[in-house]
This record gives sequence, C-alpha cells and structure tokens, in this order.
Amino acid sequence: MAGLSNLTGLVSEPSGEAESSVSSVSNRSLRLAEKEKKKGEADPFTAAAKYLSQFKAGTTVRGNDELERSILVVETVAVSKGLPPEVITVLLDLALSLNAGSPNCSRILKFLIPATVVPQEAIVKGVSWLCVGKMPMNAQVLFLRWVLTVFDLIDCKDDLRSIYGFIFSFVTEETLCPFICHLLYLLTTREHVHPYRVRKLLDIQAKMGRQPFLTQLLALYKVFRPDLVTLSLPSRARTGFKNHNSTWKVALSAVQRKNKGAVLVDQSLSVDVKEKPSSRKRKRHHLAVPPLSSAFDSNSSKKGLRLQELRSFKELLENIHNIELPAQMGSMLGSTLALHYLDCVQDESAFLRLNFWLGHSLQEEFLLCPVDGSSDNTSEACRFLNTILFSQQFLQEGFSSTESFLYKFLSVWDGSLLRPQILDLLSDIPLMPSFYMNKLLFEPLKQLYFTSTVFFKCSVIECLNSMLVKWLTWHSVSASEGSLDISLNSNSTMTMTLSGFMDSVMELVRFVGLLASEGLRLENCHVLLLNQTLAFYETVCDMFLKYSLPLIIMPPAGVFYPALFAIDSISLDRLGYIMYRYRMNLTLAKQQKQQREQTFHISRNAYKEFNRNLQTMVNSMWNSQWCIPGSDLEINKDLIALCKIAEPWCCFDIIHHPALFSYAIEFHQRCWPERKDVDLGSIKTGKYWNWYMEFLFNQGFDGLNNFIRTNTGHGPSSSSQDDRQPLSQNCH
Amino acid sequence: MALLSPYSKVPELNTATVLLVENEEELQNKLANAIVQHEKDFNVNVRLAKKLPLPVENKEARPRIDLIVFIVSLLSERSLQSAESSLSHLHSDCFLGKVCFLVTDARCGSHTQERLVSVRKLAASHHCPVICAEHRTADGVSAAALRLLNILQVSAGMTPMSTTALYLSTLTRCSLTSDLQEDYLQ
Repeated sequence: MAGLSNLTGLVSEPSGEAESSVSSVSNRSLRLAEKEKKKGEADPFTAAAKYLSQFKAGTTVRGNDELERSILVVETVAVSKGLPPEVITVLLDLALSLNAGSPNCSRILKFLIPATVVPQEAIVKGVSWLCVGKMPMNAQVLFLRWVLTVFDLIDCKDDLRSIYGFIFSFVTEETLCPFICHLLYLLTTREHVHPYRVRKLLDIQAKMGRQPFLTQLLALYKVFRPDLVTLSLPSRARTGFKNHNSTWKVALSAVQRKNKGAVLVDQSLSVDVKEKPSSRKRKRHHLAVPPLSSAFDSNSSKKGLRLQELRSFKELLENIHNIELPAQMGSMLGSTLALHYLDCVQDESAFLRLNFWLGHSLQEEFLLCPVDGSSDNTSEACRFLNTILFSQQFLQEGFSSTESFLYKFLSVWDGSLLRPQILDLLSDIPLMPSFYMNKLLFEPLKQLYFTSTVFFKCSVIECLNSMLVKWLTWHSVSASEGSLDISLNSNSTMTMTLSGFMDSVMELVRFVGLLASEGLRLENCHVLLLNQTLAFYETVCDMFLKYSLPLIIMPPAGVFYPALFAIDSISLDRLGYIMYRYRMNLTLAKQQKQQREQTFHISRNAYKEFNRNLQTMVNSMWNSQWCIPGSDLEINKDLIALCKIAEPWCCFDIIHHPALFSYAIEFHQRCWPERKDVDLGSIKTGKYWNWYMEFLFNQGFDGLNNFIRTNTGHGPSSSSQDDRQPLSQNCH
Repeated sequence: MALLSPYSKVPELNTATVLLVENEEELQNKLANAIVQHEKDFNVNVRLAKKLPLPVENKEARPRIDLIVFIVSLLSERSLQSAESSLSHLHSDCFLGKVCFLVTDARCGSHTQERLVSVRKLAASHHCPVICAEHRTADGVSAAALRLLNILQVSAGMTPMSTTALYLSTLTRCSLTSDLQEDYLQ
C-alpha cells in the first residue's frame, strides 16, 4: 500500500515534471520539425520526388497545380543532372500505372534520364504494368524504346532474365515486335531457347515476312541451339536492329559527359597479362567501351566466375570451363585476358554479340554523324579504332563487322581522316573472292589513290603489302593441313579452293602493279614510292619459296625500268635482290617439275618475262648494251647521237650508272690519287676490276652482289682473269 | 547559248585557274583560301560562282578555266539539282578530264547515302571523279584543297611528261559499286 501510494506519489510527481518536459520536448520537436520542413522546402527536388511517390491513384490530374509543379521540377533536374535510381523507380511506376494520366505518362518517359544506374526492379515493375494492358500503344512503344536506350545502365539483369517468358509473350503484337525482339536479343541465354518459342517466331515470320529483327533473333537462337533452328540464315549478320534512342540520345550524352567522373562503377580488369592499357572512354554513349560488369547477380544460384574477377592468366586457365561473359560484349575489346578467353573457347554467340555491338558502334560513330557537326572529336574516335586494331592484332584475325564497315566507309572517305588507323584496319581484311575484291575494295581505293599526295600513295601500297603478307601467311598455315577446301576464318562459312585463292592473290598483285606503275609515272619516280613498291615485290618474288604458293608474277615494265634506271642506289640494290630471288624460285620450281614432284604448273610466259627482264638488266649493267634492237628499250641511233655523250652505251653499266657513279669516282681517287683527269674506263682493266667489285660490294649492296654473282659467274672466288665478257646464264 | 569551253582561250604562263561552283556558297570561300595558301610551283587563280552559265559581262576578262569543280552538299536536294542544271552549260570538251565533283556530308546517314548514289550516277555518266570532303574541320578542308590541286596540276597541263587530263580521268573516274555490297555481305 505504502509502496503503491508511494508509487502513485512517485507517479504523480514526475507527471508534473513530465508534462513540462513533454511540453519542452514537444516544443523542441516542433522546432525540429519546422526546421526539417524548411529544409525540405529549400530542396524542391526532394519535395517534388516525395510528393510524386505518394501520389495516389484516383487523385485528380487535370488542374492539379502541385502535380504539375513537381513534374516540372523533376524534369529540370533530369535534363541537367540526371535522376537518382530511387526517383527513377518512383517516376516509372507513376507513369506506367497511368495514375497521373496518359499524356503525363509519355511526358515523364521522355525526360527519364538516369544519372547513375537504373534499378532492375523498376524495369520489372514496368513490364508488369505492360502486362496489365491499359497503356496506350504509343506509350508502350516509348517505354520499350526507353528500356533499350538505358539497357547498359541497368545494374543487374537477373530478374529481367527470369521474366523472359513474359517479355516473350509480347512478340505477337505487331507494333511492339521490333522492340521486343531487340530486348530479347540482349537478354537471351542458352536456357531460354525452347522449341515452342522458335516455332512462335517462325509463325510470326511467316505472317510478317523476313524482317531483319526476327532474322537477327533467330540467328542468335540458332547459335545457342542449332538443332532447334534449322532454317538457313545469312552467315554475316548485318545490323538488323534499328537505333531507337533518338529521343534521349542528346540529353543522355550530355548528362554522362557532366558526370563523367562518377558515372559508372569501375570494375575494369586491372591486370592484363601484357600490361597493355585498356581504354575507357566515357564521354560518348555509343563510343564508350564499357567497363566489364557482371552478367549475373551475386545471389544467383550459378557459381560461375565472373570475367572481371580474374587477375592473372593462371586464374583464367584454372577456371576456363566456368567463366561468365560480361553483359556488355564491347568491354572485352580492351583486355587481353578476355580476348584470350574468347579465342580459346570459340563461342559463336559471343562473337555474334561482339560483332553486333562493334558494327553498331562503328556505324553510329562514323556513318551516322549528326548533321549539326557536333561530333568532331577525332581523338576519341582514334582511340576507339586503336582499341579495335589492338584486339584484331591480338587475335590475329579481323572481325567481320569491321570488314563490312570498311567497305561502306571507303566510299565516303576523304583520304585523310584517321588515315593510319583506317589503313591498318584495311590490311586486316580477310581473303575474299576476286570478283568482289574489284568492286568493293579496288575501285574506291583507286579513286582515292590517283587524286591524293605521294605519301598517301606510299601508305596505300604499304597497306596492300601488309594485306598480302597476311593472306600468304594464313594460306601457308592452313594449307599445311592438306586440304584444298579451305574455310576462310573461324567465323565465316565461306570456303575457297586453292585456285580461287590464287586468283585473288593474282588480282591483288596485278592491282598493286597498276597502282605502282601509274603512280610512279604521275609522281616522277618519287624515291619513297619506288621503295615501297620494291618492298611489295620483295614479298611477291618469294611467294613460292617462303609461303609455298606456286605463283610467279613479274613486276610490270612500269616498275622494273624506273627501278633499273633509278638515281638512288638503294632501289637498284633492291631490284638486284628481287631478281636474284625470282631466279631462286624459278629454279626450284623447274627442278621440282623435272623430278615430277609437283602438281602445279608455272606458265611459260612467266619464264619468258623473267628471261627478258634478266637479259635487259645484265646487258645494261654488265655488258654495257642497254639499247638492243628488238627489246623493250629501243631508241633510234641518230636520236642517241644527238645527245652528244661519248660512249652512250656505257651509260648504265656498273661504273657509269647514275646510282653507282659516286662510288666509281671514289674508287678512282683512291687508286690514282695523283691523276687530274678522271678516266673511269681504266677501272675496267685487269686487277682493278676485281678490286672495284670488292670495294663496291663492301658498301653493303648485298642484293646487287647476289645478282651479279649468280647471273654472271663473277664472284669473290673467281680468278683475276679478265672477266670483261661474262656469259649470262638464262633460265630456259 | 554560249557554252563554257576549255580550249577557247590561250593559257597564261605558269598559271592555272579553277572554278568552284556551289549553290550554297558556304564551302567555296574556305576552300579557295586553302587552295591559295598551299605551297606549289605554279600560280593558281580561284574563281567562285553560284551556278552556270557565268555572267556574260566578264567573258573577255576571264582567263581560261582549267578545272571546274561542282561542290554538292548531300544534305540538300537543291544542291544536286543546281549542279545538274549547270552541267548542261558546259561544252563537251570539258568532260575530257576538266570537271570534278566534290561532295560534303557524305557520312551523315542513309538519306545522304542515297543522294551520294545519284551524284555517283551523274558523275559516272559524264566520266568525272567524285571526291568526298570533310568540310567541318580545317584539316579536312586543307586535305580537299590538296586533292583538288593534284587534279588541277594535271588538267592545266603542268605535267606533260607524266600524264594528260584525259588519261588521269580514266584512272579516277567514278564507278558504281553499291549493289554488290549487299550481295557479298549476305
């Protein structure tokens, strides 16, 4: 009792205090609440977002100023900075539920620019609203286009993949079909390909005709389950999906440019085997090689190792059966570990997706430039192309999408934009039938070549030389497997026979011969162009010995004669080397024919041409007879007499040749330092001749040395007899 | 109707004249400046016009024109139509290597591609080359000017030992390739 009364007493006393403290507390809380409210008012964006999140269905929309104001506030923030993920969820829900009315639905979708990521729950909710079926058709289309635009920014696609079936059910709607197919293309994995789905797509194709989006999706299905999809599809998939992001593109790129430091979480592969820097470009949405992000949620039941978690080559080898590909295929381009994996596993779907992304990006950047000229950022484009080049050189083969892009680009190229990168990419083009080569590659190149500077001409010849070397190397590697039917590269199903290959190589060499001879004439035998041409023929002359291709093609007269009468000694030396190698190749071919070892046939014309060139060269340099009646070079004697040169016949021999003249003079001065009049004829007598030859070849003219040695028998081991009339040995 | 003919006047010593015809009159000036500023061995006169026929008043004072360049912007239909109508005011001798087409904005999407095909058809039927130019950057304009100078040098006869205008036109003339691309890439 006492305790109770005490208690009550206790209770009653503090109640008085409590009241006062409550009142003080309530005063304090009131003050705090007011402060909060003021803060909320000071930040209109948060207030607006809060209002919109609490907007109930059934509230009047027409004339609702509060709603209008909130939407406006959110819109300004969206266009300038982008929206945070929670706000996106709220807005998407509000728009698609049509709580704010259908005109507001389209309006909200149009300014829904994310700042960082888009939470996947928002998209899943959006799809569920789509299933309710109350949205007007253009709103549905707008929503799907929006999903495709921000697809790269969705944080995780697991939930989307689990509702694949729901998304698939919309494929039957004709208006929505293109967008649904595109979305499915991005989400499909092997588990999703089922016979009933394939059948449905084929039914739709029967109704709608062969639409590119349907064909593309079926091609992907075929890659995953070739047993289920039996119809024939084009082997080179073109970009079958149209670009849908026009509404948001400009705003999105502006926002991303602003937030470039903080936008995408960097999950890049930090350690490559070769320590090559991987480029991260974030300024432009379509040029960005995205960082590697995980394809699956960490909560998923699959225990696959994600590609970006690998840190070394050893780890890759240990886990090679268990790797998941990233969601964004383009991110594999910069890292060598990813490329190693791609090459080893030879996953067709991965290549298909990578080619699709690559083709799309290349087209966006170079062939669909905006009309207002705001796209002039060549340094980024340069880096992007360098990344592609690096990947292609790493894999030692080109991508098919780069090839198709290049054919389109060549016809609109001005010859100087990103020249080194484009020409390097051009040299990676795989072999193609000779018929197409002319139209697709040679015609545009010809039109560029003959109107450009001599340096462009040199670059083109160098590029074609590199292309020829790659083709020959590929042939010598694949022909060792012994079949005549060779498939072109791992990703194409086109096959080519040996004779088709030889046709293509002949076309290429013939074309370069044309370019070189006309170019040399136009540029007045410019020394750089001549040297590039001779470098090309150094590849051509050894085709039989080095690459086991039984083809002998001689340089045309427009290349041979400028080289023979060149003013610089390097060209002359190279010509000597080339003729020496031709002789080696022809001799071996003849030997094999005589021993009946080979099955190919070198035409008599090849031998004839070689003999003719050889005779000309030896005659002019060794026998001092460059103008022989009946040969290519025949000039009337009277005309020659008009030039008033003493002994015109000796003009191009080893002593008097314009390229070697200076060496002769130097030798003369060393032998007879006291003589005032230079008499070069005295070099030709006796031991001086041998000494002169030794002196000349010690200057480094190995090519010329070999040529003289094999064709005239004069060599370091020969006696000191007078070799003035050597016998030139022809090939018969 | 007086047609513009390349051989009706005597050439001046070590001089070449190029006529830039453009309907929009945008790129003409930049290109003319770039051409004149390039280093070369001969003098170059650049004349600008909006379309042919050229005004009769200047006929006597005008020098012999060695190269006629039609600048076509692929973004406007009028540009191509104007060039087409001007072609009829040229003497047929001009088409032996003294006419050339310069197109801009060739990389701007599919509708420009279609116009480019029409320009190529027109050029192929007249045996003229087509040059694509990047007119938005200074480098692009400079590169286009250099290419025009290369053609001008030949068509003005400055390189008699190498080649003639007619021969160069057989090497540079435009050809149509679009159909085969579709076939091969399927």
